Amino acid sequence: MSTDLSYFLMPWLDPSLMMLTALGTFAGIYIGAIPGLSVTMAVSILISFTFSWEVNDALALMVGVYMGGVYGGSRTAILLNIPGAPSAIATSFDGFPLAKLGEAGKAIGVTTVVSFIGGMVGIVVLALAAPMVADFALMFAPRDYLLLAVMGLLLVGSMSGESLAKGLFSGALGITIGMVGMDPLTAEGRFTFDSVTLLGGIPYVVVMIGMFGISEAISQLHHLKDVVIRQDVSKILPSWSTVVKYIPLSIRTSFIGVIIGALPGTGGDIAALFAYDHAKRSVKKPSRPFGQGAYEGLVAPEAANNAAVGGAYIPMLTLGIPGDAVTAVMIGALYIHGLKPGPMLMIETPHLFWFSVGNLTLANIFMLIFGLMGIRLFAKIVEIPKGVLIPLIVLLSVVGAYAINNNVVDIYWMLGFGIFGYLLKMYGFQIGPVILGVILGPLMDVSYRRAMMSVNNTPDAFFMDLLTNPISLVLTLAILFMLIGQTPLWTKLKAGLAKAKAA
Amino acid sequence: MRTTKKTSLTTLLKGAAAALLAGSLSLSSAFAADFPDKDLQGVIMWGAGGATDNVARALTPHVEKYLGKKIVLTNKSGGAGAISTNYVFSRPANGYTVLYGAENPQIHGVLGLSKLDYSSFIPVNIIASGTTVIVTRADKEWKTVKDIVDDVKAHPDTIKMGTAGPGSLPFVVSSMLKTTTEMPVLTVPFDGEGPGMTALEGGHIDFMAVGLTAAREQLKAGRLKALAVVSDTAVPGMENVPLITEDFPAFKKFLPWGPFYGIFVKQGTPEEAVKALTDAFAKAVAEPQFQDFIKDFGATPLNIHGDEAVQYLKHNQSVSAWLLQDAGAAKISPEELGIPRP
Repeated sequence: MSTDLSYFLMPWLDPSLMMLTALGTFAGIYIGAIPGLSVTMAVSILISFTFSWEVNDALALMVGVYMGGVYGGSRTAILLNIPGAPSAIATSFDGFPLAKLGEAGKAIGVTTVVSFIGGMVGIVVLALAAPMVADFALMFAPRDYLLLAVMGLLLVGSMSGESLAKGLFSGALGITIGMVGMDPLTAEGRFTFDSVTLLGGIPYVVVMIGMFGISEAISQLHHLKDVVIRQDVSKILPSWSTVVKYIPLSIRTSFIGVIIGALPGTGGDIAALFAYDHAKRSVKKPSRPFGQGAYEGLVAPEAANNAAVGGAYIPMLTLGIPGDAVTAVMIGALYIHGLKPGPMLMIETPHLFWFSVGNLTLANIFMLIFGLMGIRLFAKIVEIPKGVLIPLIVLLSVVGAYAINNNVVDIYWMLGFGIFGYLLKMYGFQIGPVILGVILGPLMDVSYRRAMMSVNNTPDAFFMDLLTNPISLVLTLAILFMLIGQTPLWTKLKAGLAKAKAA
Repeated sequence: MRTTKKTSLTTLLKGAAAALLAGSLSLSSAFAADFPDKDLQGVIMWGAGGATDNVARALTPHVEKYLGKKIVLTNKSGGAGAISTNYVFSRPANGYTVLYGAENPQIHGVLGLSKLDYSSFIPVNIIASGTTVIVTRADKEWKTVKDIVDDVKAHPDTIKMGTAGPGSLPFVVSSMLKTTTEMPVLTVPFDGEGPGMTALEGGHIDFMAVGLTAAREQLKAGRLKALAVVSDTAVPGMENVPLITEDFPAFKKFLPWGPFYGIFVKQGTPEEAVKALTDAFAKAVAEPQFQDFIKDFGATPLNIHGDEAVQYLKHNQSVSAWLLQDAGAAKISPEELGIPRP
């Protein structure tokens, strides 16, 4: 125990490790805030950069970048309606409306605090229950990933805005975009028209940057003469009572984040979308209607995506299996530094587990400090004159799109999707479902086919599995509940039950 | 007099020629000394965190030391390696764009994915080759691959073999197994060896052929067990695991076969640049620190270049391409592409 504690405190007591963690977190927030500059990329660049360093120093820097980066994505989502990272997509749904109401400062303040809470929940679960959660995550079969994807796609219902039909169209469009490229199971080209460029598919971050960034920039042209919204920055730190009010929701969505983060096939982006949907279903009286600046719509995804960091560490440290893209790169870093990530890691290098936990905690605290610093200045970004802001958004989007794969073609895609996204918005189609489709469509496709191949393509065996396996059964029931819960049948059933009780 | 004049003219001409020659020589040596005079771009075939990425990032700092310039690494995954291969081929053949690749493009032709394979590139270095093992969960009752095959034949279409997308290592070795044994096994493809092994540990598939690189730690921890090494000669460190050829001699015709990691530049790159790169990479691969990394990684160091590397690539391609053809997985016959039978 005392040795565990000394490992935990290692990054706290060594000034250089502490400085590196702080530096990483600070850099991470800004890397995360710029769309296209991803944490995954930053961490892989750091591998070469920290090649000759001590492994602990290198890890301290990377952990900081990871923690800060996941949080940083919310900045641009709130201020400019461009999620800095896919895990901040859901943040923009209510974050940007808040900025439009002049509450950007308070929105960032709340986001920072709940991100910290989410991060802590993730770390606590990692510290106390890592082996159990890892084994639980392994139990998810291909059919369970299918059910998760279906459940996620049902979120179209809560993102459709004015018309469900338009929402469904957007979702289907997104799925189609996600299918472009080489089929991962058969290597057949889909919608590629024999072009090698298309064989690699359309990176979904490109779609995201175009549809959010460029389309937002074009939309802003309609409002050139509008009065600039004054941002209220008198009170950016959320009051204690506000924080307490959101604690139950942050804890609930944090658990969603930990589990989704620990699953090897899913990460913070999906966790945040699930959390947003959970908030929408479970919060009866939000501060404002969802989509128009509800703080609950901000709290849920931001707690979840930071909790997913601790979640993703769980299979990485216990089994050497990455929980998401960033932890996959970290595993590479451990190899290069002569460590052997795998089930033996905790036995061969016992300090690493508690060192990582301590390091994550430290990074989380730095994230809170740096996050709360400079909010006043940042909130003013929204007040920048449109003539300066719009070109800035376009510039940021182009740089971001190019940075993903260093591919010029991605810029054209991004611009094309930007114009297309603008047209969609003009005609009342929501962009959220498109992105949802691009992210979840491919997961649903391959998981369904894998599940069917596992039962020799016999549907009856497939349905039997849904009912007999505990995880599948719970997920199936949840999906049925989500569907039936929205129909008149449910209202009638509820009324009937109430009557029976009264009688 | 006349002769003298002639001689002097010849001398003059000779001298001029010599001067020219010397000039061009010094020019070319100057060029060799000049390469590289700016930073290089290194294109990694697979995504961040994958095996190819790990090898690239562990090796490059050593190479930079010998090259005197930076190699800026970028991952260009997609299309089972076709995207990166096509990208590097589209760049000028000047040695400044270097491909960090794996074995995959060797069968892009027969799979109809892309016309480019490594014959359009010069191998700067084949760094190492991987060992393939057939693994199952430690609690399974099977002791050998023969046990699996017998069990599959007794219970057709119920036992699940994990694999990965066409062109991947598990895919090729699965094809070897199926052609050799003709067993009625279900195959479930995953996104790679890692996700496949995760499914194996979770009990969603029953066995899988994977690189030792990916399986090593799970084997050491006793969560998975290796039933066979896909090789016909003993592999250092794996002496207690039977060779696949012991139970299935028919495997001999496919072997030696294995995944590899290599460095490539486009055909037509000036000799001086190729030489500078070859020297730098050979020295870097030989660094003890990198050799330790390769061994920990579960791969066999090769460090070959020039003709030897070309021969290695040709053999590897013949085996894979014809194997897929015989397994009925090829879309374009290797014969059509001029790939000889091994």
